Amino acid sequence: MRPILLQGHERSLTQIKYNREGDLLFSVSKDHVVNAWYSHNGERLGTYDGHVGAVWTVDVNSSSTLLISGSADNTAKLWDVSNGKCLKSWEFNTAVRRVAFSEDSKSVMLITEPRMGFSATLQIFDVQNGVEGPIASEPTVIFHPEGPKITVAEWGPLDKYIVAGCENGSVALIDPKTGEFVSRNKVHEATITDLQMSTDKTYFITSSKDKSAKILETSTLEVLKTYVTDTPLNSASIMPKIQEFVVIGGGQEAMDVTRTSSRQGKFECRFWHKVLEEEVGRVRGHFGPINTIAIHPDGRSFASGGEDGYVRVHHFDDDFFSFKFQI
Amino acid sequence: MPVSATNWADEVDGEEQPQTFTDANGITTHIEYRINEDGKKVKITRRTQKKLIHDKVNKAVATRKKWPKFGKEKGSKPGPDPATTNVGDNIKLKLSSTGKVIEEVDEKQEAIKQQLQNKKILCRICKGDHFTTKCPYKDSLGVEDAGASTPPVEEAIPEAEQQGSKYIAPHMRAGATPKDRDAMREKRDEQPTLRVTNLSEDATEADVSELFKRFGHISRVFLARDRETNVCKGFAFVSFTMRDDAERALEAIDGRGYDNLILRVEWAKSSA
Repeated sequence: MRPILLQGHERSLTQIKYNREGDLLFSVSKDHVVNAWYSHNGERLGTYDGHVGAVWTVDVNSSSTLLISGSADNTAKLWDVSNGKCLKSWEFNTAVRRVAFSEDSKSVMLITEPRMGFSATLQIFDVQNGVEGPIASEPTVIFHPEGPKITVAEWGPLDKYIVAGCENGSVALIDPKTGEFVSRNKVHEATITDLQMSTDKTYFITSSKDKSAKILETSTLEVLKTYVTDTPLNSASIMPKIQEFVVIGGGQEAMDVTRTSSRQGKFECRFWHKVLEEEVGRVRGHFGPINTIAIHPDGRSFASGGEDGYVRVHHFDDDFFSFKFQI
Repeated sequence: MPVSATNWADEVDGEEQPQTFTDANGITTHIEYRINEDGKKVKITRRTQKKLIHDKVNKAVATRKKWPKFGKEKGSKPGPDPATTNVGDNIKLKLSSTGKVIEEVDEKQEAIKQQLQNKKILCRICKGDHFTTKCPYKDSLGVEDAGASTPPVEEAIPEAEQQGSKYIAPHMRAGATPKDRDAMREKRDEQPTLRVTNLSEDATEADVSELFKRFGHISRVFLARDRETNVCKGFAFVSFTMRDDAERALEAIDGRGYDNLILRVEWAKSSA
């Protein structure tokens, strides 16, 4: 397969995300820009300009009308996907680490960092008026989660819980109504770098700096599958269709990269069989660690964003779809 | 149309007018006549079939495809801009069921690691167990008689470099001991080797082995090439497995003409 290289960023990628149909791909990086791309040919649809700090996170709602981005400039911005207009900018005391639309797209959850005496917050804003209506400036709820710092978070099935991954390698379920921790399970030895839901949100995958990725059941936080690699992982994603694979990626810490050759850096997207926990293949190409991976909702292509500032969109060849795992 | 350029046979045809017709299968045939650069008349037939491929897409997706561009892309033409979008080199995703992907890399690494465990890293300056470049006394003592009695450190360095598909010399490979190197050289010397000189510049290894393999099994062909131009330097070494074969080859080929040159074949002298 010939990957499409997207050069819309000058600094390392922090997150990429497909919309629900998978025709658009959003990418954010440390260079303040939010890019929107057509995923089938890599054409850039536009940019969302306004942030003045590194953008850590991005999410799009299910109807692809609203886009939210969270940045190190202490703001989160809500954008009109179709024309790049900023609809709302919320300001906080610290950087926004993670944003996510709820499953019904009526509200959006933000996680801010603890820093400079400010504690970490989990805030939920009402965005159900969408592009037309006024958007609330104040959060509907604001919590101050105790304990280890939350690095990643996602909404659980039917927005019943918020699943959070923490710096100490534990995952926790948070009740979005009360802000209390429902349960917690320490599954990793080091900080959790990514957390992505399966299509039905009944299970999710985590990746960690402890060189492993794990699939956990959402309701019980029980570890179902473990994928152990030889490199710190930055991202993991579950293939929704066609093949029962997970794609994980990472590589050496960015600060150590200059000391090694790109082959030793292990900057590859690794394909693992989801059920049998066996590695089935690798895709190389990045010359820096892979920071973020997203898989097209139809399972026919995937994209990876690296520390090298490139997004690579891969459309699988035909033999990928006919592959059968031999036991 | 210059009259001189046309052949009388063409004129008889009388089919000067371009023709277009469509057959039952929907294939359109278009025939035209043209005079080419050489002044000759040529008949050009083009068959085309139009096929309308319907691709169903989500309505929302179809609308989104028509959105005008915005932000930094405002006013840009539709279609990917080469400034931001490029197609990379072809990458193979080889799927395998054996889980070999990991083992391959790991085994090699482990082997090298184990090999290195027994090897001592020795500083040339203070004889401590670190690399010479990292020696704390580097500035004060300085490197004394580089490359003298102490073994060179380079044996330990390849840890970082010997990865993946890179060539690893046989004596560096997993399980090899330093002795293997000498053993290999001895073995090579034991083999009956012929030196072939006065080869032409165009000769290749394949040519040489083609020439000698009729006498018996060849274990090795070495053709000296110029480092820069990569052309043959005019001599080669051919090792046979059997001494008799080598002798026969020597007698037969020595003094033979090859590529306008008279080959000279003799026993190779040991390099030791």
